Amino acid sequence: MTGTRSPERKGFFFDIKVLELADHRGEFCGKLMAGAGADVVKVEPPSGSPTRRIGPFYKDEEEPERSLHFWHYNHGKRGVTLDVTKPEGQKLLRDLVPRFDVIIETFPPGYLEGLGLGYAALSALNPRLVMASITPFGQSGPRRDWKSSDLVHLALGGVMMNCGYDPTADGEYDTPPIAPQMWHASHIACNLTFIAIAGALLHREQTGKGQYIDAPMHQAISTNTEMDIPSWAYMRAPVYRQTGRHAATRFTTPLESITKDGRYVHASGGLGRSAESVIAMLDENGAAMDLTDPKYSERGYVSTPEAAARIDTVSKKWVASYKFERDLWKEGQKHELHWAPIRKPEENLEDPHWAERKTFTEVYHEDIDRTLTYTGAPWLAEHCPWREGPRAPHLGEHNLEVFGNELDLSQARLNELKKSGVI
Amino acid sequence: MPFAIENIRITDCTWLLAGAGGPRFLAGMGAEDIRVEWKDRLDWLRSGSLTIPIGEEAERVRRGETVPSPTRTSVEQGATFSENNPGKRGISLNIRTEKGKEIFKELVRISDVVVECFTARTMERLGLDYQVLRKINPSLIYIQQPGFGRKGQYVDYVSTGPVAQAMSGLTEQSGLPSPYPPVGWGYSYMDWSGAYYNAMAMLSALYYRARTGEGQYIDCSQAEAGLYLTGTAVLDYVANDRSSARTGNRSPYVPSAPHGAYPCKGTDRWITISVYNDEEWRAMAGVLGDPRWTKDERYTKLSARLMHLDELDHMMEGETLQWEPFELMEKLQAAGVAAGVCQTAEDRMERDPQLEHLGFQVELPNSTVGTWKIKDFPIHLSDTPAHSGGTLNRGAPCYGEDNGYVYGTLLGIDDGERAKLAEAEII
Repeated sequence: MTGTRSPERKGFFFDIKVLELADHRGEFCGKLMAGAGADVVKVEPPSGSPTRRIGPFYKDEEEPERSLHFWHYNHGKRGVTLDVTKPEGQKLLRDLVPRFDVIIETFPPGYLEGLGLGYAALSALNPRLVMASITPFGQSGPRRDWKSSDLVHLALGGVMMNCGYDPTADGEYDTPPIAPQMWHASHIACNLTFIAIAGALLHREQTGKGQYIDAPMHQAISTNTEMDIPSWAYMRAPVYRQTGRHAATRFTTPLESITKDGRYVHASGGLGRSAESVIAMLDENGAAMDLTDPKYSERGYVSTPEAAARIDTVSKKWVASYKFERDLWKEGQKHELHWAPIRKPEENLEDPHWAERKTFTEVYHEDIDRTLTYTGAPWLAEHCPWREGPRAPHLGEHNLEVFGNELDLSQARLNELKKSGVI
Repeated sequence: MPFAIENIRITDCTWLLAGAGGPRFLAGMGAEDIRVEWKDRLDWLRSGSLTIPIGEEAERVRRGETVPSPTRTSVEQGATFSENNPGKRGISLNIRTEKGKEIFKELVRISDVVVECFTARTMERLGLDYQVLRKINPSLIYIQQPGFGRKGQYVDYVSTGPVAQAMSGLTEQSGLPSPYPPVGWGYSYMDWSGAYYNAMAMLSALYYRARTGEGQYIDCSQAEAGLYLTGTAVLDYVANDRSSARTGNRSPYVPSAPHGAYPCKGTDRWITISVYNDEEWRAMAGVLGDPRWTKDERYTKLSARLMHLDELDHMMEGETLQWEPFELMEKLQAAGVAAGVCQTAEDRMERDPQLEHLGFQVELPNSTVGTWKIKDFPIHLSDTPAHSGGTLNRGAPCYGEDNGYVYGTLLGIDDGERAKLAEAEII
């Protein structure tokens, strides 16, 4: 099967339609599907998605149409309202199901079954349906009904015991393990669920049949860490968390170098060849101090702990003599060292590297008459560009478009449904 | 049961984790992944990093003893290599020789995907970049994944997880508020996450090809994927001129108090608790035995608690220190309060009944190091369950383990010819 490219066939999932009944746990998955070209229709209760109440808010106005969280995580989707607890709402949903390929939902396990809207019932209406349920602990098991939060997930999943500050000199941790902020439990689960959905859609190409996907956040997050599991599996050794570097079975040299103005550069030193690169970089910048001593040209010597400590001291002193904006990390990169600025996310906005890649995207919000910059695409695919808009939907914005076009409901019928609180 | 994508073949020129992890997921969904290696440039994880014990040391670990640094005698003992590459086939091929390039092109001819994470210009220098390979296989999907991407002025910069995290803002966003420094991630978050985006790119392109017949080239960057995961920080800055600031373990965007990690009995044991309303507050206080301070008007209402977060955290610590963490977690959850112990690897592997139920790890054999547990694919597909061992039901490949299958069965190079190629240091 070959075909020429037509303008409407742009994204990867150009012919896939997704119904998303998801809160903060799953709407990132819908955002990814939309970005990759699918037509994603977000289904909210008539009172609005709970994620409209999550901050930050535009100009700090805590209104349902002002949530930047909602804007960010629902960028590129259309939106309808529908009350799944009302029989008429359930009928509407059943009528929509044959017209969609994928459902992403985040209700508690068993909730949709209780309404007669579980996978068995919906796949009977549409055998091609792929339905993914993203829940805290999965659809079964002893802790299926436990409560969670992003924090609780990052704790249970092991992320936190890897992240945190060095202990005191006498070995006691006087600060707690840290949960990196900004919804990473959801990010991890949604990335992995996207992978599963794409796999199911590819399988459907072979068989014509959809399937059900059970996505337990707890299991997803538990697989995200790196050295702690193999360290325990193969050595039965725990890892210790350490400021700004990998948790490890031993304590390692700090990698964060502070600048004159109190910012940080991720500056790796190391042994052997990397140590030689650090010395070469410092020398080139007139900051090598005593590292010009011939003994530092010996591979054997630069790999000793004594030499490593001295190189680290001189390197950190050099970084501390400049302001963050001097971008010393680029000197490291010129010497193939793994150096990077510890930037705030927004400090990437002006970087010409990202500009050239069109990493950020401009989105017009006609309701506030402003064009805002969003993080755009996670990769660069010129053949199938990432979706750039539109802005997140207003509450029920596409009711007429979706219910009218898809189900052929009249404006009068929609008015009735609205009046009775169904949409 | 069938796998989802058994009809897909991948030529896998990745290494480390951000690269090798992506095709791992596709192998887990049934793709035939052929990991291409050459002995002079082995994956660092085969030689460095953690070592899988064999023989007597393996027995000691199985008995529950700590073996601080197992002895390494073979390139098959790389522990993270083993974790990052299960279910894949492995061949040895020197693509820096002319004959090696010729064989590589034959492999590409019968592959659906080429995925690589060399430095940005390596494949161009070898004459094996997308523009060349698409002439051999017009519907080829080619995923390139240098740290900062192929396009842009940082094309030659190097990246690992920590670099991608520092650059994107993920490091700065994690930690206690200033003047504490950013604490970042104590592991390469952007290695597994870079792997997710690599897998997502491959699968998206495979779907598009299934529908249109068209292959394509995708330029992935680990640092750029990191930026995609910084949440609302950029939008908050653009819309509100608000600079990104750390908030420790608190809940900056949803009112919640208490919301933090609190110390428990034992060495370095902590429990996280998230209380979103006053009903949950009363339930939590009940579990703690209704201490008098919980009735203080500074704490009875969420709005008041939010005004006294430092004092609240201090009072919470006084309570939680008296508890064994797992007992407190069970009791709080039974009372309807979101609570979770900060679990170690040991906890997740050996005392988490939910992970046990879901199938957190799966035992997979390797012909040199034996059978060990590997993390399984954590999402459950009803009709085509993914499985880290893939169609081979096997751990990571040994070096050159599948030369016979790939060169013999797939490419029709007979035994005699293979012996000559081996002699000439090509395979």
